[in-house]
Amino acid sequence: MHISEGILSPAVLIGGAALTAAGVAVGIKNLDQKEIPTMGILSAAFFVSTLIHVPAGPVSVHLILNGLVGLILGWKAFPAILVGLALQALLFQFGGMTTLGVNTLNMALPAVVCHYIFGNALKPGTGRTVIISSAFGAGFCSVLMSGIMVGFSLYLTGEAFLPAAKLMVAAHLPVMFIEGILTAACVLFLRKVRPEILEGDHVS
Amino acid sequence: MFRENSHDSIAFGLNYNIFYFIFIMLWLLFLPDSASAHKVTIFAWVDGDTVFTQSKFSGGKRVKNAPVLVYDSKDVLLLDGKTDKKGMFSFKIPQKTSLKIVLKASMAHMAVWKIPVEALGGTEPENAAKTDGPQNSLKPPSGSMDIETHEQVSGSSTVALGKREIEEIIDASLDKKLAPITEILADSIHRGPGITEIMGGIGYILGLVGVALYFANRKRKS
Repeated sequence: MHISEGILSPAVLIGGAALTAAGVAVGIKNLDQKEIPTMGILSAAFFVSTLIHVPAGPVSVHLILNGLVGLILGWKAFPAILVGLALQALLFQFGGMTTLGVNTLNMALPAVVCHYIFGNALKPGTGRTVIISSAFGAGFCSVLMSGIMVGFSLYLTGEAFLPAAKLMVAAHLPVMFIEGILTAACVLFLRKVRPEILEGDHVS
Repeated sequence: MFRENSHDSIAFGLNYNIFYFIFIMLWLLFLPDSASAHKVTIFAWVDGDTVFTQSKFSGGKRVKNAPVLVYDSKDVLLLDGKTDKKGMFSFKIPQKTSLKIVLKASMAHMAVWKIPVEALGGTEPENAAKTDGPQNSLKPPSGSMDIETHEQVSGSSTVALGKREIEEIIDASLDKKLAPITEILADSIHRGPGITEIMGGIGYILGLVGVALYFANRKRKS
């Protein structure tokens, strides 16, 4: 999911960086002190999750976990994912500093969209089935949308959109299911032991 | 700070739980047979008149059937090809300029390896990986020097082999002896992130949380 340096045109890189800057600005605006530890921990989880590989045929892909980050953090997923990706680029050489903006946008925007689609299920009082299916949907759809966005980034640089996007989505199909299940498991676990985390965004 | 005791305990409890989660993830990391597609690397070395390249994903999986493009110093495409099942691709040196070898793996992944012109002149297998500083001494002697040597040693049958021939013999045996080292070098270049990087990254994030909390707290007090 990390786009390497030297593939995208400068216009796409700058555009991605500008949109990411806007997203981060929205994310840290009116940031409550209480949310900082949650952001840090989800950022750490995102940072580490990239190292968990899912073998999928000729290529193998890795977990992304942006669905969980987005579901809990909403717009604050932008700064959390930016920090995670910056450290991945610096320490693991995944992606790169020039593609940081585009990569953050590709992973954080689907996370925010999932927050608005599925976030309501995190409110107290929703049934177990609704929570499980919403969390699964968030994990699944965030990876799906990220794949499409990577395909779109390549398209803007001049590659054909459909083959690129199809390849991304097809390769990430196993990841989508695993992320869906993992997100559902995490949400259920958090709801049981720390329901405050899930409600954080809705309370404030 | 003490006023907010209740929410601090929330934060610490949360830390505790998610640390479990992170440890489970770390444990998952070390499950065997991992290969990944978030980074590709290409490593190239010169052996005689051939350039060998080896391409891998960061987990060590070979990059199969991926296009490899070779450019000269002015970004003119010289030749292209595809990696085989072992991620290898080799080609004869097309011309003696510095080469830029680009691997284009699927899904927006790309890696570049540059071979300086000296490495192609010296036909040293290791030179591809290094800067051109010490290699200058390894440059093949120019024609005029060669003649000079011949003139100096003319008559002596023991050195009649000539500098060029001796060099070729040494090169051949060096190639043979350095082959395992080249392989080790190739493997070390393809190695993925280790525990140091992972722990370092988590430490960075926790440090950033601390800094953010510090400033948030100061703002609140003032």
